[in-house]
Formats: sequence, C-alpha cells, structure tokens
Amino acid sequence: MIEILLSNHSVLLSGAAVTVFLSVIAICIGGVLGLIVAFGLRSRVLAVRLWCGLYRSFWRGTPILVQLLIAFYLLPHIGVEVSPFMAALISLSLNTAAFQAEIYRAGLAEIPHGEVEAARMLGIREWSIRARIQVPQMYRLVMPPLINETIIIIKNSSLVSVIAVTELMRRSQQIASSTFKPLETYLLAGLIYMAINLVLAYIGRRIEKRLAISGGRA
Amino acid sequence: MRSNGMIFRMSSAFLKGLPQALVVTLGLSSLSAVPAHADLLGDVKQRGTLVVGTEARFPPFEFVKDGKIVGYSSDMMEHIMKELPNVQFKQLDLPWQGILPGLAAKRFDYVITSVTATKERYNAYHLSVPIADATVAALKRKGDASVTKEADLAGKVAGSQTGSGQLQALEGVAARLKEAGTPVGSIRTYVDFGEAYADLASGRLSVVVNSLPNLLEAVRQRPEAFEVVPLTSVPKTYFSWAGRKDAESATLNAFFDEQIRRLHKDGTLAELQKKWFGGVMDTPADALPVPTE
Repeated sequence: MIEILLSNHSVLLSGAAVTVFLSVIAICIGGVLGLIVAFGLRSRVLAVRLWCGLYRSFWRGTPILVQLLIAFYLLPHIGVEVSPFMAALISLSLNTAAFQAEIYRAGLAEIPHGEVEAARMLGIREWSIRARIQVPQMYRLVMPPLINETIIIIKNSSLVSVIAVTELMRRSQQIASSTFKPLETYLLAGLIYMAINLVLAYIGRRIEKRLAISGGRA
Repeated sequence: MRSNGMIFRMSSAFLKGLPQALVVTLGLSSLSAVPAHADLLGDVKQRGTLVVGTEARFPPFEFVKDGKIVGYSSDMMEHIMKELPNVQFKQLDLPWQGILPGLAAKRFDYVITSVTATKERYNAYHLSVPIADATVAALKRKGDASVTKEADLAGKVAGSQTGSGQLQALEGVAARLKEAGTPVGSIRTYVDFGEAYADLASGRLSVVVNSLPNLLEAVRQRPEAFEVVPLTSVPKTYFSWAGRKDAESATLNAFFDEQIRRLHKDGTLAELQKKWFGGVMDTPADALPVPTE
C-alpha cells in the first residue's frame, strides 16, 4: 500500500483535490439554494410551499446516481451543453440543496416565535428579521447536521466518476487496474476519504465552539 | 463494486428510454438547440477539439500511468492527431457501461477504446477497421490444477465485464458446455475487469474471461498470481473503435478508418503491437469482417 502511495501520490492528490473542490463548491451553492427553499417551505403562499416541497421531494427522493446520469445525458438532449464537471456540480448542488433545506427548516423552527413577533412589533422589516435574527441563530443550531451533510457530499462525490469526472475514486480505479492491486488501492482511497472528513469534522467543531460563545462569529 | 454495478445497470437501462420519453411527452424536440450538422469531421476541425470517450481501465490498450492516459491506442492517436493540426484532443474517461450510450447521446464525437466487434454493435454503430485481435481466453489462479482446458469450466464460477463482448463470448462457451451436458456453474458480471481479477485472486471465481492481450498483461504484472488457459471453441474476434452510424458522422468515421489503414500499411501498427503486446497480431488491414456472434 505504501508502495502504491509513493508511486502515485501526485495522481491521488490531484484526485483528492477534485473531490474536495467539487464538494465544497456544491455545498456552498447548495447552501444558498437550500436557504431559499427552507424559507419557501415556511412561506404563507401555498404555491411557493408546493413548489419547494416538490423540489425537495424530487432531489431527496431519487438516487444521486440517477440524478448524475440525467444531468449528463439528458441536458445535452434538450440543448444545454454542459461539461462533465458542470453536470456533476449541478447535480450535487441541487441534491444537497434539498437536504440542506430540511436542515435549515428544522433550525428555523427551533427559534422562539416570540423573537420574530417582538421584532415585528418594533417595526423591523421582514428581510432584516430573517438576515439578522433568524439566520444567524439558526446557523448556530444547525452546525452539527450541516457538517454531517458536508461529509455525506464528499462521500457521494465518489459517484461522479460514472460521468467522466476524474476524482479520487476514479483515480484509484485507474491505479487499481494498471497495477492489478485493487485491495491495497481501495484501502488507500478509503483512508484518504477518511482523512479529508476528519479534517472537515475538526473545522466544524472549531466553528461550533466559536458560535457557542454569545455573539461569537465564525 | 458489484452492488454499484447493479444500480448502474438499472439506472442506465432506465435512462436509455428516458430522454426520448421526456422529449416526446414534454414536446421538447422543438426546443432542441442542437444544430443539425452535415459533416462531423469538418465540425471538429472548425471547433478545434475532438472529444472522445475512453474506458482507461483496460491495460495495455488504454490505462492511466502517472495521471495520463497511455497505452496502445494512445500511441496510435499520437500518430493520427498529426493529421489534424490545430485540433485539440480531449479524452473523457468513464466506465465501460457509459461509453456506447454516451456516444449515442452525442456526449463525444468518437470512441477511442477497445470495442469488441460483435454482431449487435456492428448493426448499431460504425465499427472501425480492426486495431487488434480480441479473441478471448480464460485467466485462472496460478497452480490451480482443476482448470487446464475449456471443458474444465464445467461446474465452475466464471466472471467477465457487464455489457462486454467478452461476456458474450463467455456466454457462448457456457451454451456449448450446456449442450454437451456439462454446464458452467454460474457467470458473474463486473463493472470493471479489475474487480473480476480481484475476485479471482480471492477465490470467489475460478476463471475470468477476457481478451488474450489483456490477460497476458495481467500475467505480466502479477506472474505469481495468474495463469492463462486457452479457450478453443471461441470464434476469432477483433477490437475496433466506434462512431455513430448517422450521416453527419460518416466523414469522421471514414477519417479514422483511413488512418488505421495507413498505420497498418506503413508498419506503425506492427511496431506498436510489438511494444505493447510483445508480438505482431494477425488482423485484416482493409475492413472489419462482419462479426458472426
């Protein structure tokens, strides 16, 4: 295994870089979208609630592999040209947006309604209530599940190799088939995934601690 | 990996019909912005990139070394791309099960990966002039005395790759053994040959059926683990590259056929075969013989 690591470290590193890069951007895009969907799910307008519910149900209820294949093969069919990386980014972002929406919705529900009512009484505008009262407090509550979701996306990103994105998993498959040593190679890949996720979990714990201090910012 | 393969097969089968179904039901065909080209080769030259699909897990034909796709077909492409100056060569690496569907869905212009010429594929795609011999053999664990000839496959578990020509050849062997009253135990399929070799090494399979050049490479890399057993009843088959069978692809298909013929005639192909397979193969230089199976 050490031998495989030594002779392929730059290739594995480039694969890991693609994995992290793709996942982190997907998490960020999904975070913004997820927040919109979360507020949409709590909207007073029925149509908005229905559409956001439909979105969530589709992306949460279908396998990520099917979503990837749809983005890769179907989009060009309807005239949208996307590179394999873009197709992967689109599916992962839209997928995590659905899961993050549920995380945020749960977080928002935990914030005492009295705070929002008091803010309205004081004449604070709705947008300010969301941006200054609800969202900051919600992030404090949802950090653990959010870190969880990030780790899940890192692991799910191993599926994007089926649509020609050469990330860590595909790199290890390539190495496994040219060295004919799959066992050692996949064990190594597993350790690299775990290392990435341990670092993420550590960063998450640090942010959580900072946020635990009243008025503290990440 | 095996369970993954299952999901993949299910979803790719589901997807095969999905685009058409969606296009029809949603009336999207009129929205399609894909322009109708008349000439794919001219198009490739105009846009300055040639996009091809490759399964870079098939040593020594196409595999990855130090992060780059190398092998027999990469060396061939180096000679061929000289004929397309100012065109960038873009190679997408994806699992075999996505290669021919990806070509059909126009995700790439051409397939530069070893495609075993079978009857079905011959009817559905334009298969190029043969690039190599693809006749199959079996791989066994070194020193396994229970398998020494084709008839010994009776009652054994044999493996090959999902959706491959090699699997089809294995099924042919199994059918003949069944007729003889000595059926094969069972056949297992894998997303990639690497997983099949791993299962062979661990004892879950008795043999893996693949094309001889690939098996020789496996033996060359792991001589302590594997040994080749010839299969005598299988027909001679060839590896080709593949293009779409539509009118616009005709120019690109003709270009590749002509280039392979050229490499055959000037001795480049023989030279590359010596380099990658250790010997020269006997393949037709002009056209692919119509596959019988």
